[in-house]
Order: sequence, then structure tokens, then C-alpha cells
Amino acid sequence: MERREVVFVDGVRTAFGRAGPQGIFWKTRADDMAVKVVRELIRRNPEIPVERIGDVIFAATAQVGDQGLTLGRDVALLAGIPQSVPGFAVDRMCAGALTAVTAGAGEIAYGACDVVLAGGVEHMGHHPMAEEVDFNPRFVAERLVDTSAVTMGATAENLHDRFPHITKQEADAYAVRSQQRAAAAWRNGVMRETVLPMTVFTDDGWRPADCDEFLRPDTSMEGLANLRTPFRAGGRVTAGNSAGLTDGATAAFLAAEETALELGLAPKMRLVAFAFAGVEPELMGIGPIPATKRVLEQTGLTIDDIGLFELNEPFAVQVLTWCDGIGVDPEDERLNPYGGAIACGHPLAATGVRLLAQLAYGFKERPNVRYGLTALCVGMGMGAALLWENLGAAD
Amino acid sequence: MAPLTEFKVARAGDVALVTIDNGEDWTKPTFFGEAALRSLERALDELEHGDYSAAVITGKPFFFAAGADITEFPNITRERAVEGARAGHELFGRLRALPIPTVAAINGACLGGGVELALHCTARTISSAVRHFAFPEVFLGLFPAWGGTQLLPRLAGPETAIKVIVTNPLRQNRMLRAPDVAELGLADRLLDPVEFVDDSLAFARELAERPLQRAEADWSDAETVFRRARTGVDDAVHGAAPAPYVALELIAGAQHWTVADGYAREEEAVGELLPGPQAQASIYAFTLVEQRAKKHPHRPTAEPRKVRKVGIVGAGLMARQLAELFVKRLEVPIAIRDVKRELVDEAVAELGPSVTGGTGYDGFQDCDLVLEAVFEELTIKQQVFAELETVVSEECIIATNTSALSITDMAADLRRPDRVVGMHFFNPVAVMPLLEVVRAEETSDEALATAWAVGEKLRKRPILVEDAPGFVVNRVLTRMTRVIMDAVEQGTPVEDVDEAVMSLGMPMAPSVLLQMVGPRVANHVLERMHEAFPDRFPLSPALAALADGEEPVVLEDEPRTQQQIVEEVLEAVADEVHRLLEEGVVAEAADVDTGLLLGAGWPFFLGGITKHLDQIGMSERLFGQTFAEMKEAAPA
Repeated sequence: MERREVVFVDGVRTAFGRAGPQGIFWKTRADDMAVKVVRELIRRNPEIPVERIGDVIFAATAQVGDQGLTLGRDVALLAGIPQSVPGFAVDRMCAGALTAVTAGAGEIAYGACDVVLAGGVEHMGHHPMAEEVDFNPRFVAERLVDTSAVTMGATAENLHDRFPHITKQEADAYAVRSQQRAAAAWRNGVMRETVLPMTVFTDDGWRPADCDEFLRPDTSMEGLANLRTPFRAGGRVTAGNSAGLTDGATAAFLAAEETALELGLAPKMRLVAFAFAGVEPELMGIGPIPATKRVLEQTGLTIDDIGLFELNEPFAVQVLTWCDGIGVDPEDERLNPYGGAIACGHPLAATGVRLLAQLAYGFKERPNVRYGLTALCVGMGMGAALLWENLGAAD
Repeated sequence: MAPLTEFKVARAGDVALVTIDNGEDWTKPTFFGEAALRSLERALDELEHGDYSAAVITGKPFFFAAGADITEFPNITRERAVEGARAGHELFGRLRALPIPTVAAINGACLGGGVELALHCTARTISSAVRHFAFPEVFLGLFPAWGGTQLLPRLAGPETAIKVIVTNPLRQNRMLRAPDVAELGLADRLLDPVEFVDDSLAFARELAERPLQRAEADWSDAETVFRRARTGVDDAVHGAAPAPYVALELIAGAQHWTVADGYAREEEAVGELLPGPQAQASIYAFTLVEQRAKKHPHRPTAEPRKVRKVGIVGAGLMARQLAELFVKRLEVPIAIRDVKRELVDEAVAELGPSVTGGTGYDGFQDCDLVLEAVFEELTIKQQVFAELETVVSEECIIATNTSALSITDMAADLRRPDRVVGMHFFNPVAVMPLLEVVRAEETSDEALATAWAVGEKLRKRPILVEDAPGFVVNRVLTRMTRVIMDAVEQGTPVEDVDEAVMSLGMPMAPSVLLQMVGPRVANHVLERMHEAFPDRFPLSPALAALADGEEPVVLEDEPRTQQQIVEEVLEAVADEVHRLLEEGVVAEAADVDTGLLLGAGWPFFLGGITKHLDQIGMSERLFGQTFAEMKEAAPA
């Protein structure tokens, strides 16, 4: 059988909340958040009969507690998807949802199924990073990785060390731009189309979670200048130029192109190529550079052929490193036109589908753009890059 | 004290989202005490002045609201009762008068005042997972006094109002499930639980655009409906409890009164009823069986033995009921033994693969608990115990379901009498919630704790009883039966005796009850009681005759009046309860009351019985103090 083309049909997310007791999702279960986005996705795509879903793939970094029990299966049952539809869970930390997408794409390409529901959830309030991890002492004893590799903020400081020409001022300027673009995005349609309001129970009763809690539209260079550098005394990485600890969930429909045709769907983009790459764990932020290079090599495209970039922004310096390595101006309009994780937050395994959904919206707004890239870096030294083709592109 | 309930207002777009929250999880019911009403007042200020197009009122997760805080009810004055009703009317009335559509989003248990709050909203949604929706007031000797009697018939017609307010509470406080609530027209939308609050918000937005059309309530058949309802209430309480009658009158009034008039009538009536004896006794009884019995002050503290297999000796009717209960609730393998092969085969066939059995004690070796339910004859029981002791493990607990024999005697010849304990269930076993856990002279703490813990797992509510003839419930009932038989023997027609006892509010005429229990069994128990206490339990020629299938013997021609019978019954019962306490068979009168409520089905409005005996001054007259005072005087 020939390989089948895979298309992205639709993607949604919850609003992203601040992790911890002050956050809006503190009293909401992670799996309930995943169920919410899954049900909305199904509702929004009535042309897809639920029994046609071939697999439900959910990513979470902490696969315990309310993110345990083979999340994809658990969420499918809780969402009311027929029992005949299977599901599973994946983990590639921050690239969880992207890996759910590529795993699903593989199933579709092989003809194992026609439609895949892929998503991610991370309740970092309930599951603080690395809390339940038992780090193998060999990593330290045999110096397999630098101990800083475990603390993501420390790896960001390492990037500044390795690329000293990238300054804190540039990082702060990038952060200000991210907040401004996000603020604008909340005024235009992208967030209305990709963010699903969810009423959740809190200490103040039921409240709508309908807006990202990290938005700070009035962020200024002056305001960022004097923030604490929690990862290193006299460091450069602050709460202002990084993504905060976040609770959120995302979900997307992928389908075989022929199935989309059969069901009368209006798919938004086609998966062209993808790559994952490994790098030094203590410099995990550079991961997207080799991953990006690899998808370009696979397709024979150059960076100039790509009209939109949706990059994760765990740290401003991380994006700047990628710009530096790939040759893209940090102020380029193609890069994160709707802001990024600095403004909306980064619920680890959930983030990938946010990038996809925003890229799809960006494609819709830019019919002249043919190709777009979604990329992010991954803890323990990895990078992921997925290259997409705009199905609404003007020929 | 119950945690304080707040009405928390949030904004969801242009809809006000109000949460009824007491800051605890769903296991702690949300009540409307005084503080809650003050909070509701602030919420209403916000709703009246805020810029909202609609409002949704819902509960904390899995719980809507349980209504008034009944801990504020004992010994309440008439003035306070009226004031409480009026405060509710005023606030709920303001809710009803809001110019925006309001939706009660019933997301969990919704009882009493919770239902009334919902009825004051424009419309209601209900989560399909809700299993507790009810007006329990009549069950408690009250009626819904925050507008329930007025708004429910207006919404759904008199027949439904009667069913929900009067009939269901009189049927062991039957509750409605979500589909029934929607079916009866009390909820406008039956919604999936998974996105219930979001879907209710969407419904509220819909209402803001387009008001709901609802059919007028149908009063065309009202006369027949009310006549039939009154007959039904007569059959249930025989005039002994005023609440259901008052409720019927108020519901009927709703056809003609304005809502304001109806509120006023409710206030007047609650001032009468709430401080009155039936309501006060009912609240006492409710507290006993719903709170005290579930967290019993005398619950054994020893570590119970883990029960992984149960043996049941006997495969007769009672034994089989017990086996069925153990299979269903304990979910452990069961071994059954009876000398009659066919009985065992029947039981095994009926109860399924977790039950094995035979005419010997195969399968009893690894039982952790063995319960005997063989014929009520001391020598037979002793023989069974002796056989068991050679078969079961050293640690196995041996329990008996005897209803009147001495457990101490039963265990006397055993090597280890300390493992023997009484577990006295009540017929029908699946229905009656009582378990008398009986401590014989040698019973160990472990055996007692195990019987108690198993009882709880079987979802029974145990009371702790010392080994004494007839224990508690049978002793009191037999004493009463003896007085009734006395009246019959003196020439009182059976119908008159029945009528007298029913006028007290007893659930069943004594002659009917006797037929259910079987005159032979009743006479057998009387004989056992006679052996123990010949003075108070003389043998009854009338009962003996009935036991032999003959007409009751009449010895004299001095029929008693109904009033005399009631007086004699109550005096005898008071005396027997007093003796139970004097002898230390139970620690408190509350245990006797719990036994009569849960084991004999005595009505809440008598408060078991001691509350009633106190209320009519009988205990004071007979013993110089009330049962309540005896408890206070007792050493802690």
C-alpha cells in the first residue's frame, strides 16, 4: 500500500492557567481538562463520526495521578467516545503533543486508521516538574549529563553562556514583543477560534477559565529589567522572559487526506515532514536547530520557503538561539505572529497542538503562505520540528 | 456545627454564575443556615444591581443544596420558626422577582430548601447523574415552608406536587432521580454531567434570547386528586401526624391564593408544626438514624478481624436471606451447611457461583466468620457450635442470629466461648437496616468489633446490646404484644385493638403484623420471655390458640376502650425501656429508639418511642424524670 497523506483538520485548547493554588485550574483534574477539549473538538467537527476515530493519543509528561491510567484511553472513555475506539499515552516531555501527532500520522500513513485524535495535557500545579522522578545517580556519577540539565531554567542560562552575543536585553525585548503580539491576538480572532472557555470549580466557586493567566500586555523593558534571576545569581533568565509553570490541555484531529475528502472535511494543512533530534542535555534549547535543518534537508526546501514559524517559547533566549542558528530575524513577522509561551504559558506535553492550531489559523489569514513550521525544544536535550503545507494557499 | 454556606457570584461573559459552596467536598452537605441566608442576601444585591443578562445558580461539585440546617430546629420557638420561614420567603421571593432569567443548575443532591431555591428560578437544568432530589420535610413531620407547597403545584400541577411533597416522603422518604425530575416537568433540561455547568450557562444564554414556553398546570381533576391523596395519608399515618394533612391543604390552596398569601399560610403553619411534638420527635429520630447510627458513640474500638470467607449454618428462609446479603455486599465466598440436602442445593442454585455447600462442614475450615441461623432451640444451637469448634480455625468468629436465646448459654460449653457474638438481623433482611450486635458474657473485643464491622459492610446500622432475653427490639415488641393479647383475651374485638394501635401511628395493624411474623414464632418468643420474666410476660392463651391455628381465646367480657389500650401499651413499653436501661442492656434510650425505628419501622414522629413518652409526660409520671434527663444523669 502506498503511504497516505496526513492532514490537520482542527485543533483546540483550554485557556492556559497559572500552576499552583492561585491558578484557575488548581481544583480541576487534568483528565477533565483533556475531556473538555476532546468533546469540543468532536462537537466542532460533526462530519467526523466518532466511531471513525481510529486512535486517541494523549501526551503527558507526568503520567501519574490525574494524568495516569493510559491517558488516551482514559480520556476517550470519559469523553463518551465509543469503547471500540482505542487509546494510549505518550511522553516526550515538551514535545509530547507533537509526538502524539507524529505517532498518529504514522498510523494514518500506514493505513492503520483514518482519523486520529491527538492531544496533550499537563497540570503542572498537580505535577510539579520532576517531582515524581527518581533520577538515576549514574547520570551524575559518570558525568553522563551536566547536573544543570535537569533544571530547565539552568539550561537557558547555559544558552546565554554558550552564545554570549545573545544578551538579556535582546531576550527581554523578545519577551515584550511576545506579550504585545499575544495581546493583539486576543483582540483578533485567533484565540476565539482556538481557545475553548471552560467553567471550572475554584475556591471562589465556579468560574470561567476563558483567558490565559500569563498575559501581561503592559510588559515593558523597564519592568523586566529588574526582575529576579532565580536560576543563577546575576543571571539573565527571569520570570519575565520565560514561560511560567502552566496548566492546560489541547487536542487535534488528524485524518488521511482521502478520508477528509470522503467525509467532506475542510482540512487546514498537510504534514510534509517531521524530525526529532538529540543535543547536549544541558543545552536542550538548541534542539530545534538540528530538527529544523533535518526537515529542510528532507524536503529540499530552504528557510526562505517557509512563510510562518510557530515556535515554543520556554525562554526568550531559546528562541533567539534558534533564530541565530537558522538565520531568522527575531523581529521577523513570520515568527510567532500571535505571541508565544512567554505570554500564554507552556503546559509541557500540551503545547505542541497549540502551535499547530495557531499555525493553521495563521495559514488561513495568509493564503500567500505555502509552508509553515512548528518546532520546540525538549528536556534532556532534544528538538522537534514539523513542517506543514497550507491547504488554503493560493496557487 | 455544619460548615458555613456561601453564595459566591462570578461573571461568565454576561451571565452571573452563582455557586452555593460550603468550602467542603461533596460528603459534607451544603445547608442553608442563618449565615447562608445572609450570604444569599448579598448575592441578590449583586444580581439586582449587576449588569447581567441571565443568572445560573449551581452547587459545589456533586452537590446542589440540602436545604435548611435542621440543627437549628430542636426546641425552636414558634416565633423563630415563623421568622425563619419569612426570611426564606423574602430572599427567595427576591430571586423570583429578578428581571433576568435565572437557571438553577442542579448538579447533585437537591433536597428540601434546595428544591425550593430551584423552584424560585425561572428554569432548571439537572445533571443526569443526580440521584437525590426530594422534599423530605413531611418525612420529618414538617412541610416545605420556603414556598415549596405554593410553587411546585403552580409549576407541575397538584398531582405531581402531592407525589413529591407528601406521598414520596411517606414511602420511606423516597427520592427522585434526574430522569424522573425531568419527566415530572420539574427540570426543563436533562443534561450530561460531563459539561454540566457549561451547558447550563448555554441554556441560560438561550433563555435570555428566547423565554421558555411552559404549559399551565392542570387543576381540572383537583378534587379527585386531593380526595385520593387524603385517603392515602390516612392509610399511612391514621391521623397521628399532622404534617401531611397540612401539606395537602397548602398545596390545594395554591390554586386560589396569590404566592404572597401562600407564603403567609406557610409561615403560619410552620409556626404551629415545627415546635410541635411530631416535628420535634421526627428531627430527634432523623438525627439518631442518619447521624448517630452512622457514627455510633459505642462503636467498638478493637481491630476487627478481616473477613475473607463466611460460613452460614442453615439454609432455611432466614439463612438464605442472610447468605444473599453477604454475597451481595461482602463479596466473599460463602459456605453453606444444612442437614437437608435439597435446601442446600436450592440455596446454591439461587445464590450463584460464590456459594458452595453440603450437609457437612466442607468449606468451613478457612472461614473467618461463621453465622448460624438454625432452628431456635438452645440444644440444637449448642450442638451446632460444638460441631463448628472442631472444624473451624482457632481465630474464626462464631456468630448467632438467635432472636431470643441466651448467647452466653449457647457458648458455655465451648473451649473458646470468647469468639461467640450475636448478630441479630431483622426480617426482611434485605430491607430492615437494624443489626443488634450482642455481647455475651465472654465475647472478646475482637469478636464484637468484627460483628460490627461486618454489619457496617452489609450496610446495616448496628446497635450494641448486652446478652439479655429478647435483646431490645423483640423484648419491647413482645411486651407490647402481651398487652394487646390481654385486651383480646378480655373481650376487645380485634378490629378495635388494631385501630387503637394504628391511632398511635404504628406502621401496621397488630393483627396483620402477627400474621406476617407468624403466630407460632411470636408465641415461641413470648415463651422465651416468659421463662426469663414470668411476671411481665405471662403466657397468652389467645396467642397460643392462634399459634395452633385456632381462634383466639376470650376469657372475659370486659372490652377495653381504644384509649385504655393506647395507655396500657405505652405504659408497658415505657416500663420495658426503663428496665432495659436499668439493667444496662443498652447504654442509652437512644439505642432503643434506633432499634424501634430501624428494626420495627416505628414512625419518626414518635421519635422511636422515648421522645414521645417524654412529650406526653408519661416518663415523668412513671419514673419521676424523662428519658432525656436519665441520659444526662447517667455516668459518662
